[in-house]
Amino acid sequence: MSPIPLPSGWRARMLLGAATAVVVALIVAIGAVLVDRFVGGATVVEGVVGSEKVDFFRDEEVMARLAELGYEVRVRPRGSRLLAQDAGDADFVSPGSDAGTDHVQRQHGVSTEHRLFSTPMVVLSYEPLAESLREAGVAHRSEEDGTWSFDLAAYLELTAEQTRWRDLPGDSVGSENRNEVLVRTTDPRTSNSGGLYAAVISYLLNGEEVVPPGGPDPEITDRLSDLFLAQGQPPESSQQPFEQFRDLGPGHTPLLWAYEAQYVHAMVNGPALPDDVVLMYPAPTVYSAHTLVPLTEAGDAVGALLAVDPELRSLATRHGFRAEGGDAFAELVAEHDLPVRDRVDDIVNIPTYEALEALLNGIEDAYDDSGMGPPAPEEQRPAAGPSREEDE
Amino acid sequence: MRRAVCAAALAVAVAASGCTPGGPGGGQGTTLRVLAGSELADMEPLLEEAAERTGVTVEMEYTGTLDGLARVAAGEAQEYDAVWFGSNRYLHLYEEGRGRVREETPVMLSPVVLGVRESRADDLGWSEGAGVTWSDVNEAVRDAEFTYGMTNPGASNSGFSALIGVASALADSGSALTGEDVERVGPELAGFFKGQELTAGSSGWLAQAFTERSDDERPVDALINYESVLLSLNRDGADLRLVYPADGVITADYPLTLLSGPDEEAEQGYARLVEDLLSEEVQADIAERTLRRPVASGVSGADLPSLVELPFPAHREVVDGLVADYFSDLRRPARTVYVLDVSGSMKGDRLDELKEALGSLTGATGGSLEQRIQAFQEREEITLLPFSTEPHEPRTFVVEPGRIDESLGEVTDAIGELEALGDTATYDAVLEAYGLVEQAPEDDYLTSIVLMTDGEVNWGMGPTPFAQGLGELSPEAARVPVFTVLFGEAGEEEMADLAERTGGRLFDAREQSLEEVFREIRGYQ
Repeated sequence: MSPIPLPSGWRARMLLGAATAVVVALIVAIGAVLVDRFVGGATVVEGVVGSEKVDFFRDEEVMARLAELGYEVRVRPRGSRLLAQDAGDADFVSPGSDAGTDHVQRQHGVSTEHRLFSTPMVVLSYEPLAESLREAGVAHRSEEDGTWSFDLAAYLELTAEQTRWRDLPGDSVGSENRNEVLVRTTDPRTSNSGGLYAAVISYLLNGEEVVPPGGPDPEITDRLSDLFLAQGQPPESSQQPFEQFRDLGPGHTPLLWAYEAQYVHAMVNGPALPDDVVLMYPAPTVYSAHTLVPLTEAGDAVGALLAVDPELRSLATRHGFRAEGGDAFAELVAEHDLPVRDRVDDIVNIPTYEALEALLNGIEDAYDDSGMGPPAPEEQRPAAGPSREEDE
Repeated sequence: MRRAVCAAALAVAVAASGCTPGGPGGGQGTTLRVLAGSELADMEPLLEEAAERTGVTVEMEYTGTLDGLARVAAGEAQEYDAVWFGSNRYLHLYEEGRGRVREETPVMLSPVVLGVRESRADDLGWSEGAGVTWSDVNEAVRDAEFTYGMTNPGASNSGFSALIGVASALADSGSALTGEDVERVGPELAGFFKGQELTAGSSGWLAQAFTERSDDERPVDALINYESVLLSLNRDGADLRLVYPADGVITADYPLTLLSGPDEEAEQGYARLVEDLLSEEVQADIAERTLRRPVASGVSGADLPSLVELPFPAHREVVDGLVADYFSDLRRPARTVYVLDVSGSMKGDRLDELKEALGSLTGATGGSLEQRIQAFQEREEITLLPFSTEPHEPRTFVVEPGRIDESLGEVTDAIGELEALGDTATYDAVLEAYGLVEQAPEDDYLTSIVLMTDGEVNWGMGPTPFAQGLGELSPEAARVPVFTVLFGEAGEEEMADLAERTGGRLFDAREQSLEEVFREIRGYQ
């Protein structure tokens, strides 16, 4: 396409004024939204979004539809806790959880939100590993529909003993892997998906009750922190570890905490995951609810369109998200013959923003710790060499 | 809110292209200033081709990984739009590091693995699928005099990744390395690093030095380096068997990283460049030409094995502590003869600059990790051999553990006493340095010679007898490289020739300061 001459001065302003007026009118009218193609103005709207939604916003069809509606939406990805603070000059923020939505709203003094779509959290693995985990009583395969479950409580028991992959029953590809059996998550300090992992694990550690606001039990925070710190340096947001899971194989990432939408999107639109990838539904799991919090009028307009425009909602489904109402998601899944559950049971609620924040702050303290770590948990570890005292 | 006007009738069609002025061939090119690791120099031809497609020109400036990332974390990289290193892991260990990054996109992959000479690999029974671990390598060092080359972990990402990987694997805790682990495996690590026969400030130079040693009667057995570097050596005719440690590796993912607060032009340029680099064609091109693995799945690269990734530590203290230990305790200590021109032409500013440059290496305490590990380290042996019309009396110092400050004080005093007078008998001085190396007791040191001169050889021995003298050295001494430093009016050809002959490297202190050059050479000692 050849470069486009820019109209200048008063003429440009008139065009923009006209475009805005037309768009506003269209939104008010809802229904048949046809842009007058002779009105040449696109309102540029900037959004800060969780990395898991970047593909959606940069999808050519999504961009084309938004352009048809008069908007050029530009997004930049950010981890969840940075969403609020880095929104700066943006027109909207799109978090992936209710707690995150609450947080962004408070930071920016906004009370509105548009509920776009949702997706449950899942665990991805590879078939030989899943088989090992099945023998270890952590994974289960439904006899009815062949879908997999991942027993989080059993997993917690496994991690309490610092079980390595090579210690698992069966001679899977994990037999040479000396790493601990650990679900790889994003950084809970910055990322929505890691935060949701903290939310669901804390529910189990708290005797199957949602952690209430107020100071969390230090034992819960310590145990949770271990599950994150043992993984080593965590990825800041969800897209990178998903790509690494896809591209680097089971040795790199044997177990990944992910959005179901990431799986569905990859399988529907490519690049597809390898054939032996297994999708497992954690029991219990949590839902990630994606919203749009508007910071400007234009952001608000885009949010409204994303929430109600049938074409945009259908495109969201193609990206693997579950939109409320309608059978689009079930149809898509059936069309591609994916081992995805129509209905996900065993959902727990996530803690309130304050309660989750208190948990995350505790984890943050553990990351900030000197790195020498408290010696107590070390004593329980299988002795792989002389202890520190003997060394000195 | 900003508004873009794309002219009439284009609202729909233009959306996908982002309505950017000056696209390909638009004549309005964008330039991205990028601070990069030197290993990425091989991407320059590909970037030039990308510039033709995208209109985005990349200007790369090179520096060491830890140094570069520490500068980014400290907010001292503002003159750059982006950074590009083998990995951002070290950056993310800084709390401030997170805020410095606007967006990062891994562009390609390469794990740090072993390339072992075929015959040696056969001796050790390291066949494909043998499941060789880092512990096995450690045993081979201990029991079978196994030797290898590895870059300096303070200067180069491949050495840094190897250090973290080996320590994690030997600690064998199954989870991320902790401070206690580092302490616990210290003795084992020191044993492992006894096998390190070659070191270097860059992966590329290490590969070159390794190749030059291959005709030696005692060649180095292996290289620890990027898979891509090892595969490139094989493509150029080397005979290395790639050993992928079964207990895991650390993989470089080369994230092209847009720094925070970019102007709009840089941000759009970055987006265009990344899109181009991740396209299927370019990914395939990268895989073919650089032998790194593509990040985009479905792009056919070579059929390379899937690897276990070792967890990277979550704490900077753990990493910094391990790196500092490597230099002070774990590695074989350095023995260096500094052959220093103090002829009459050095009088005044030049001698002052030399004193300052050398003096900067004696500051052991305080400063950044980079500065600390570039200073003279515990156990290290330093010989000052000034020369003019003839070699002066050499003075040798050992940085003794327990009295580091005193030892370094003595070095500082000796540097302060240097005086300039006389002619430039360079070759006599270098042979004298080799004589000192030959007299040194046989021990565990990694030895090198640094030659700094500001003028052409105008006194004493000529090139022919010098070459003859080199030919008469013992095999051990003949392996000692001379790192030559061009300063003032030094003869470039002479110095380049000397470096090449001895397996050393030429450094230029005419464009950058002598201090910077001395610091860079530290990576090779």
